[in-house]
Amino acid sequence: MGWLYRLASVKLTLIGMVLLCIGAILSYGSKFDFSVWVLVLPLCWLSINLLAAIATNRKINRQPGLLVFHIGLLGIAVLAAIGRLTHLDAQVEILTGQAFEPALMQEVKKGPWHPWGLAGGEFIQDQFIVNYEPGLMRGATYSHVYVRQPDGSREHRVVGDDKPLLLGDYRFYTSFNKGFAPILTWLPDEGAPVTGSVNMPSYPLYEYKQKNAWTPPGTKEEIEFWLTLKTPYTESDYWSLQQESSSGVLVVTAGDQRVELNPGDEVQLAHGRLRYDELRMWMGYTIFYDPTLRWLFFVSVMAVLGLGWHLWQKTAQALPMPSAGNEGETR
Amino acid sequence: MQVVAELPWLWAALAAYAVATVAAILAVAPRYSGTVENAIMQSQAARERVVLWFLALGVVLLTIMIAVRWQRLGHGPFVELFELLASQLWSLGLFYLLVYWRMPKLRGTAVIVFPALWVLGSWVLILEPGGGFYPATYYNDWKWAHVGLGKIFLAACLVGVGLAGVILLRRTRLARLFSGMPSDEVIDRIAWRFMMVALIFDSLMLIAGAVWAQDAWGRYWDWDELETSSFLNWLALGASIHLRLAYRIPLAVGAWMIIGIFVFAFVTYFGMPYISPAAHKGVV
Repeated sequence: MGWLYRLASVKLTLIGMVLLCIGAILSYGSKFDFSVWVLVLPLCWLSINLLAAIATNRKINRQPGLLVFHIGLLGIAVLAAIGRLTHLDAQVEILTGQAFEPALMQEVKKGPWHPWGLAGGEFIQDQFIVNYEPGLMRGATYSHVYVRQPDGSREHRVVGDDKPLLLGDYRFYTSFNKGFAPILTWLPDEGAPVTGSVNMPSYPLYEYKQKNAWTPPGTKEEIEFWLTLKTPYTESDYWSLQQESSSGVLVVTAGDQRVELNPGDEVQLAHGRLRYDELRMWMGYTIFYDPTLRWLFFVSVMAVLGLGWHLWQKTAQALPMPSAGNEGETR
Repeated sequence: MQVVAELPWLWAALAAYAVATVAAILAVAPRYSGTVENAIMQSQAARERVVLWFLALGVVLLTIMIAVRWQRLGHGPFVELFELLASQLWSLGLFYLLVYWRMPKLRGTAVIVFPALWVLGSWVLILEPGGGFYPATYYNDWKWAHVGLGKIFLAACLVGVGLAGVILLRRTRLARLFSGMPSDEVIDRIAWRFMMVALIFDSLMLIAGAVWAQDAWGRYWDWDELETSSFLNWLALGASIHLRLAYRIPLAVGAWMIIGIFVFAFVTYFGMPYISPAAHKGVV
């Protein structure tokens, strides 16, 4: 059993805490993408150390409050490690009318044990409204989505701000990032037509530079797009951003050719025709996955209550209150 | 300054607090021996009643002030510095009112607690009441738990400061003001019990804040300035309680530690949000 006592050493705790601090600094304060193991290994170290301490240290396991606190700490360390190993953070931009597909995710950061529980078509993005107050202050966001049900039907939900779309343990938060996307069809001189969208930069954040470019498949000529928008945008009053009150003229530049297109218009370019079908919007979501969240909450509260219980008892022992007889005594 | 509907209520509340402050100072004024002692003791009890009733009146007037502002703006006191300070004047006043009422032996702390309240009271008077933007993320119900727990934390710290102040002032010429209070040792023990309460509510406030942050900004912890400062404040409070329990630190050192924790908390909650506004005001 000597090995168990050695594992419970306070020196090992200190080393674990220093390693955890280093891991936290590497993880959060660095531009480099460090492995989650810089956090997970110190957390495992501390968990083993804590478990050994709970088993062997009588000061801990004979005082109920302290025991509850240390079990809470152990829970936090284990859950934090599991959370880092399984987490996922990502961004996604989804067009109105488009179904979510995992392939659309960008800036994906995930733990090595992430279980990938997201299938395609989990929900379809419908219209959304973002309210603005004077001074261009973003108010409430109402994003309408249709979520696939087990029986194949679709359930309507409205998400936004502090009400994420919950798909299992995946949480989709509407972000400040949203904008317009012209839907284009490329009709090449040879081959089948292709329809797709060109997502313009976030609106109204980049209201002044609604530009993007695209190179049609099989060609080398880049086509530049500039979207001139008509929206209720104003800095001095309340207004709402939504597709139905927005329209846009698409300025297409290819080589020396420059043409303005309204929805339904098309233009003949060097290798085919380009049709501007319609103007839609895209909504940006931040995706967050950490299956330990609710458990982390419970063990944190448990640890605090255990600490409170212990310290209250300790305070009562170390700092006993005087009896009524000498309460009024002065120094 | 723009005069809005709630301002007269604020001024009335501060006037009530001012009367309570003066009465609190008079209530601890030196007592003289001799034939008039009995009469003076009665006078002291009368002054303490004035403190109690005017503090209660101030809290009631602040309640009305907050309600009127709420009605005017359509949201509670959670965003603008003006309303945050007024709200703290209300919660600190209410908590201290309960302590003053239920713990008569500690009433001498009023001469430290009221000047501390007047830091907020003076500050709120020079601010524009206006009415600002209310971020969509503030409609989350966890905000109530986060803010409410934080108020109890700060109020418990304030009582601790009052008691710590008594210990320190007893080392000066003003010692006679507190001759009617329990000994320093007893005051010290009560002060640290209040700091224990503060630690529990500080911890719960951080947890409730993390739950709110998860829903509001998609992350429960981000090491922004306000979060980091709150965490350091929690660490300092926890470490000071450990120090007090584990070592025989001099009473004056313990008293300064309590005051230091309160100042740290004050800077964290009234200073940091204005260095790092994005964290708690939403992002456009």
